[in-house]
Amino acid sequence: MTAQTDIDTIRHAFQADLAAVETAHDLQTVRDRYLGRKQGAIAALMQSLAGARPSERPALGKGANTLKREIDQAIGARGAALASAARPAGAVDVTLPGRDLPFGRRHPLTLIREQVESIFEAMGFEILQGPQVEDDYHNFEALNMPPDHPARDMQDTFYLDGPMPGGGAAAAPATLLRTHTSGMQIRYMESHEPPVRIIAPGLVYRRDTPDLTHSPMFMQVEGLLVGEGITMADLKGTLVSFLQTFFDPGTRVMFRPSFFPYTEPSAEVFINCVFCDGSGCAVCKQTGWLEILGCGMVHPAVFEAVGYDPERYTGWAFGLGIDRVALLKYRVEDIRLFYDNDLRLLEQFPL
Amino acid sequence: MRVLVSWLREFIPAPDDPDGGSSADLLADIDALAAGLTMRGFEVGAVEPRPVAGGSAPDAVLDIEVTTNRPDCLSVRGIAREVGTMYGADVRMPDLAATEVSTGDHAFALTIDDPDLCRRYVGALADVEVGPSPRWLTDRLEAAGIRPINNVVDVTNYVMIELGHPLHAFDHARLAGPAIVVRRAAPGERIRTLDGVERPLDSAVLTIADAERPQAVAGIMGGADAEVSAGTRTILLEAAWFNPISVRRTSKRLTLATDASFRFERGADVSAPVTAIARARRLLVEIGAGQPRGAIVDGYPAPPDPIVVRLRHRRIGHLLGQDVDSGFVAPTLTRLGFTVEPQTDPDGLAWQVTTPSFRVDVRREEDLIEEVARHHGYDRLPETFPALTQPPPAEAGWRRRDRTARQVLTGCGFSEAITYGFVERAAALALHPDEADLVPLANPLSEKGAVLRPSLLPGLVDSLIHNRRRERQDIRLFELGSRFRQREGETPALALALTGAAVGRHWSGGDRKADLFDLTGVVTRLCAGFGGTAAFAPATAEALVPGRTARVTLTLGGVTTDLGLAGQLDPALARRRGLPGSDPVHVAELDLRALSLQVFDHLRAAPVPRHPSVTRDLSIEVDDALPAAQVRGTIRAAGGATLAGISEVDRYQGKGVASGAVSLSLRLIFRAADRTLTDSEVRTATDRIVSALEQAHHAKLR
Repeated sequence: MTAQTDIDTIRHAFQADLAAVETAHDLQTVRDRYLGRKQGAIAALMQSLAGARPSERPALGKGANTLKREIDQAIGARGAALASAARPAGAVDVTLPGRDLPFGRRHPLTLIREQVESIFEAMGFEILQGPQVEDDYHNFEALNMPPDHPARDMQDTFYLDGPMPGGGAAAAPATLLRTHTSGMQIRYMESHEPPVRIIAPGLVYRRDTPDLTHSPMFMQVEGLLVGEGITMADLKGTLVSFLQTFFDPGTRVMFRPSFFPYTEPSAEVFINCVFCDGSGCAVCKQTGWLEILGCGMVHPAVFEAVGYDPERYTGWAFGLGIDRVALLKYRVEDIRLFYDNDLRLLEQFPL
Repeated sequence: MRVLVSWLREFIPAPDDPDGGSSADLLADIDALAAGLTMRGFEVGAVEPRPVAGGSAPDAVLDIEVTTNRPDCLSVRGIAREVGTMYGADVRMPDLAATEVSTGDHAFALTIDDPDLCRRYVGALADVEVGPSPRWLTDRLEAAGIRPINNVVDVTNYVMIELGHPLHAFDHARLAGPAIVVRRAAPGERIRTLDGVERPLDSAVLTIADAERPQAVAGIMGGADAEVSAGTRTILLEAAWFNPISVRRTSKRLTLATDASFRFERGADVSAPVTAIARARRLLVEIGAGQPRGAIVDGYPAPPDPIVVRLRHRRIGHLLGQDVDSGFVAPTLTRLGFTVEPQTDPDGLAWQVTTPSFRVDVRREEDLIEEVARHHGYDRLPETFPALTQPPPAEAGWRRRDRTARQVLTGCGFSEAITYGFVERAAALALHPDEADLVPLANPLSEKGAVLRPSLLPGLVDSLIHNRRRERQDIRLFELGSRFRQREGETPALALALTGAAVGRHWSGGDRKADLFDLTGVVTRLCAGFGGTAAFAPATAEALVPGRTARVTLTLGGVTTDLGLAGQLDPALARRRGLPGSDPVHVAELDLRALSLQVFDHLRAAPVPRHPSVTRDLSIEVDDALPAAQVRGTIRAAGGATLAGISEVDRYQGKGVASGAVSLSLRLIFRAADRTLTDSEVRTATDRIVSALEQAHHAKLR
């Protein structure tokens, strides 16, 4: 092997090594391999020149020096390229946190209410809002609950100390906080002929001592459908569809006889327990079922109160506690948390 | 209502047992019995198994929830009727000895002063030997949740549980006369009831009196004077019908509720008293506690006509959405106690149904259809959809309004709160100091909810403080809801509350506490969301810091309305409500009625500008008390048609500015729709503005 072939071999090997460099560390290894003072390939080459023929020595020395310069420049250029690739001009640490532009959340009860509204809206229902302070007639009497009716005990009422102006222009003075949103249904029927297809969501009040499942104020939605030929089967179909859309397409629904003064027949509606999926747990008291709403066919006395002919028109109504549904859907353990407005709760809900 | 299954069995003999003896056949499966009752509207909340002797049928107490419309089922007999209907079995009533009834005046003198409140009064005497009851009887009472007292009282309670009708026993010897006068109490009369409480009475209270004084509060509780005691030799048994409303009112007024009042206020069976007394007298004999004396006295001045209802077969299907076999309808109603006669009716098959007196809830055809539906089974009804017979309605304005407000505010970082509709009086007055405008509740749960909220702010501020006390520094809350005032009534409002950082801490710096302008900025964005503009004027208001309070007006669709107030909450008030720390709280309350999206209903999009605008900056020195809004007004008035925008870009006081003055830098934007403005046009407009500012405000150009 001649010294000239050594030079060519080193050049080729260096070019291959340089091409494989990816990091500054790789580059340092390559520098040490070729330019190291003691172990480097160039240093070894220079030493080997001593054994070359004197006539060839100047040319070989020139060739070796040229190679050394080439390697030195190539390593310098590669080093600069590596440095600029690692940190381009104006570079920042993109892993630092961005600036917070906080957004707020709708209240979970608003979320649920809007979900319920949109399901019924898709079924052609109109969404109504009414006053929270009501007169006795619209809250009770027109709903087949005359004064001293024991059913009034089912809805323990907050009364105003004295009357205040009621909702609407010609409304009677308000004397109580509504115990349900049914008053709005009465007002609507008083001013509209059938067909009627409405839901009335809103806050209602009952004089219940607060506990895990009771709040003296809570949100409710009531629905009313009146027309010719409206049946209890329609009520079942509509509510089953609603509950399966709202909870889960596999939700099982059970209707059971119950009593409300303003519906006849009346029913309570249950869904399979969302906590144990119907196998029985403490929440459903081992029954596998959770009561979710009350409903029934509108009592003819209600139709008579608003001037509808109960022979011609039939209809149904239902009432659903938004808080209760929210407790079940989001597994909130205490209804009172909804009214604390603790941001640690509110901020868990979707936009 | 706690019902013992073995007691029920006495009413439901096995169908194959001609002797009518007790049989386990039908009720052997207690879980099925409980499920069947539950699916018929009598929710069995618990089944408590009871020990039985070897070989006997299983026994249990069913804890049944009876709805308020079914007082007839507050009894073993009533539940038995439902069970009999469920299993298609006849119900056997307890054996009654031939009862001698007298309408005359034998054992005692009876006067019913007020037949509206007491439609029927039945009494009879029995000679008794007071002592303990036999074990089987006390066991049954205890299973029903009633504490045994002595054999006489126990028999009255036993009959009440069995037949549903309350009875009362007086010590006959303690009744003056002996006479029974059913009358309202006279003013000043008093009674000491069996619970030992001395109670003043008045004419609203119906009493059972003797010849001298009240001896019982009718339908609720007897008096201590004529209480049956160990020394009692003769009792007067009472079974009566009292007006439900009267009993309910008296029970509520005296805050005295008993098993008797619970039944009377729901409606007792006017036909039951004679049976109940006969049953009680027979039981006394059976347990060796006494012997009847004399006839039963029945004061029943005006028996009502039975209620007859027409039930059309077609109407059942019409209401339920499923035809129910006519062969099911009549037997079901018959077993429930109705008298059913087929009827020729132009509408097809129909029945004339006579309602038994114990079914106080059945008045019309729908009530009968519910009876049929309950026993037919709600689970068998199909699920159908009502046809849409009208076009779906347009979305209501209030919903679009509320949704837009929520979108803007959540986008501004505010989370939605819902707070109670009632607040503490002091909290209400702090923000709405107008006592006469408050709406107090007659029966608040506590002082914390004594008045309806006249403003959303007391509740919202409390929610802000709740969060501030739980490690939250930066809080933005809003609420949409009703406020209640005597003068205005109930109106919709929107409230905002803000504290902590406007710009949060960041490694790059730039954090800043929120101030009034963060709040007014949000109000401005809210108004812009409705296509309007907000304007702010200095104002003073209770509970808001003077000099940091603004009245907000909204200009929308060319109309300017008062929207409400925005300002810094009085720090002393915030501290009193429990706010820690020293960060200011800024609040606003706005009248939602003024906000509407109607301007967008008639929106005609303006062309996008086709020519460039020209910007000119202007620095002036003016009196520092001069409101910026006035400077703007002057500029706008003088600017002419090409002035397209004004913004305050800097405000400086200090070196180089006279004391009492402020340097304002304003950026003016000029634009014309049809051409690019020339320098001289802009200069003319700017000169006009500068001279107007000099004239109006003694402004000095810097």
